[in-house]
Amino acid sequence: MTAKPAIGIPAILKTAFVNALVALVLFSLMVGIRTEAGASGQLTYWTRFGDLASLVAAVFGGSIVIELLRQWIGPTGAEKLVPPAVQSGISFIGRYLAPALLIFTLLVPVIFYDQRYILDLAILVLTYVMLGWGLNVVVGLAGLLDLGYVAFYAVGAYSYGLLATNFGWSFWICLPLAGILAAFWGVLLGFPVLRLRGDYLAIVTLAFGEIIRLVIINWQDLTGGPNGVSGIPRPSFFGIPLDNSDDGLAARLGIEYSPTHRIVFLFYLILALALLTNWATIRLRRLPIGRAWEALREDEVACRALGINTTTTKLTAFATGAMFGGFAGAFFATRQGFISPESFTFQESALVLAIVVLGGMGSQLGVALSALAMIGGFELFRSLETYRMLVFGMAMVLIMIWRPRGLIGHRAPTVYLTKAQAISSDLVKEGHG
Amino acid sequence: MTPAPSPLLAIRGLRAAYGKIEALKGVDVEINAGEIVALIGANGAGKSTLMMTIFGKPRARAGQILYEGRDITEVPTHEIAHLRIAQSPEGRRVFPRMSVAENLQMGADATGCTEAEREATLQRVFTLFPRLKERYAQRGGTLSGGEQQMLAIGRALMSRPRLLLLDEPSLGLAPLIARQIFDAIRTLNRQDGLTVLIVEQNANHALKLAHRGYVMVNGLITLAGTGAELLQRPEIRAAYLEGGRHG
Repeated sequence: MTAKPAIGIPAILKTAFVNALVALVLFSLMVGIRTEAGASGQLTYWTRFGDLASLVAAVFGGSIVIELLRQWIGPTGAEKLVPPAVQSGISFIGRYLAPALLIFTLLVPVIFYDQRYILDLAILVLTYVMLGWGLNVVVGLAGLLDLGYVAFYAVGAYSYGLLATNFGWSFWICLPLAGILAAFWGVLLGFPVLRLRGDYLAIVTLAFGEIIRLVIINWQDLTGGPNGVSGIPRPSFFGIPLDNSDDGLAARLGIEYSPTHRIVFLFYLILALALLTNWATIRLRRLPIGRAWEALREDEVACRALGINTTTTKLTAFATGAMFGGFAGAFFATRQGFISPESFTFQESALVLAIVVLGGMGSQLGVALSALAMIGGFELFRSLETYRMLVFGMAMVLIMIWRPRGLIGHRAPTVYLTKAQAISSDLVKEGHG
Repeated sequence: MTPAPSPLLAIRGLRAAYGKIEALKGVDVEINAGEIVALIGANGAGKSTLMMTIFGKPRARAGQILYEGRDITEVPTHEIAHLRIAQSPEGRRVFPRMSVAENLQMGADATGCTEAEREATLQRVFTLFPRLKERYAQRGGTLSGGEQQMLAIGRALMSRPRLLLLDEPSLGLAPLIARQIFDAIRTLNRQDGLTVLIVEQNANHALKLAHRGYVMVNGLITLAGTGAELLQRPEIRAAYLEGGRHG
């Protein structure tokens, strides 16, 4: 807790004592007193001072251990806790991690063909990878903090859901429409917030996310309100249904029908959509518009002085991010077959934002890894339900201490020397200052 | 470098304000093609505001800004760079997380030039500031102050301007580095015919460099003349040179 490095035993004890005191105050009500409704509805409570004492003692002992560890490691800055060897190892792995991960992902349906649970989980993870990559355009590249990203996810999902159920349009027609509509809403959000930055922008986008959700809940005639939209058609393999019927894909190929076919198809569909997002982002970063997004994140005044139209730059960032959110939403609708406002709460926005921030803003691989860790981690710790959030909070704090720029804070440059030019000696020797 | 018949940039009766605080109270400045013009004055005199007003932020409340005879007073900020006016803003404002290469490319992006032109300009910037070539792949934020200033000027040059506006290029730099920067500006002016408006507190350096100078006090131009003339004026010496011990 203390800023200056503790040296003697008294200092360590003092820190531990302060921490124990904080723990006592925190836990005295949370753990020390247990309340419950009695048989006839009256409030009953009993004390658990034993548990409280053991918790406080654990904090006290833990503080001493942490302080000792800190002294043992030496008075290094927090960032140096990861030794350089590990750092360079990480960067080495980083070079081969992305291709290896992609190949593995492509093979997931083959390896886990019989395990429906893993396939479903993989689809969920990929959905969040795509959402993360989409939000990355807005938050990571353009530096516009968007707390209402789920709104575009919802617009995409409802666009497909309503168009498909009301007009019977196919998924492949609705997918681009969902993207366009979400992009349109992105521009609509963009206009009022053009002058805002940082905290103020975050508040307005947060409100925007809620507005969309509330409109969906209350516009009963169109959206079905809290009942949602059900019976959303499943996607077809470019017009060929993936079902047990005579003209289904399985029958046409002459293979035995299995419901897993559709899951595998959905898996490759979301993988393709996610890779499209990734490819588009990587391409855009190398174009003037992508560079302008990043420059906008760095310094808006300098951007204007360099002749960048900050208005259109911001709006395109919002629109592009929203479009990918819309695609993901359409996919979500066709996968679930049922959508309701409950799927588009602020918690979703926060989760996607956490994925982007933890992954390293602007890093594509980082976002993918952190989506895997977050969503996969959620599932992994499902059996430890009580401690799941605890583990999660711990992991986030540790990442923020060790890698404050996210898992992958490295940013690959997009401009290189066009020719490999040797620096002539007369240029080099002039380097002073 | 013969002066053009009409000035490249003519500012007439320019007024600008931040809210109720009037920062420019009717400023007249003329810059001929091929000239270096220095604008000196104390903190808060309105020098930077004048430079920003040329770029439309803040907008002029009254008066005119004529560039190549065209009124650009109402032209949107982002379009002014397309008229081949470039700016190295106060405090340098390089993009810290982007590489030197990307910073330079940002200068070329908005104005649109051919690949060959871009390459030629890039080589020109490297000749002027070899340091930037050495630091090509480094992030802008990791450069020293002097290197950042070189980058800011280089970035402005990448848009291939006719008129370069420099806001306090020597701010916070060691005298030796400041001299390098001023040397580069002189070279640009002599060899490339670039017209330069330089805002400086370092009056001695700026006036030695400039063909002509203006002195600004409280949003008004109080003195004008050639650089050498202004350097000899006792009131200039008293206000900006002897007291400040610049250069």
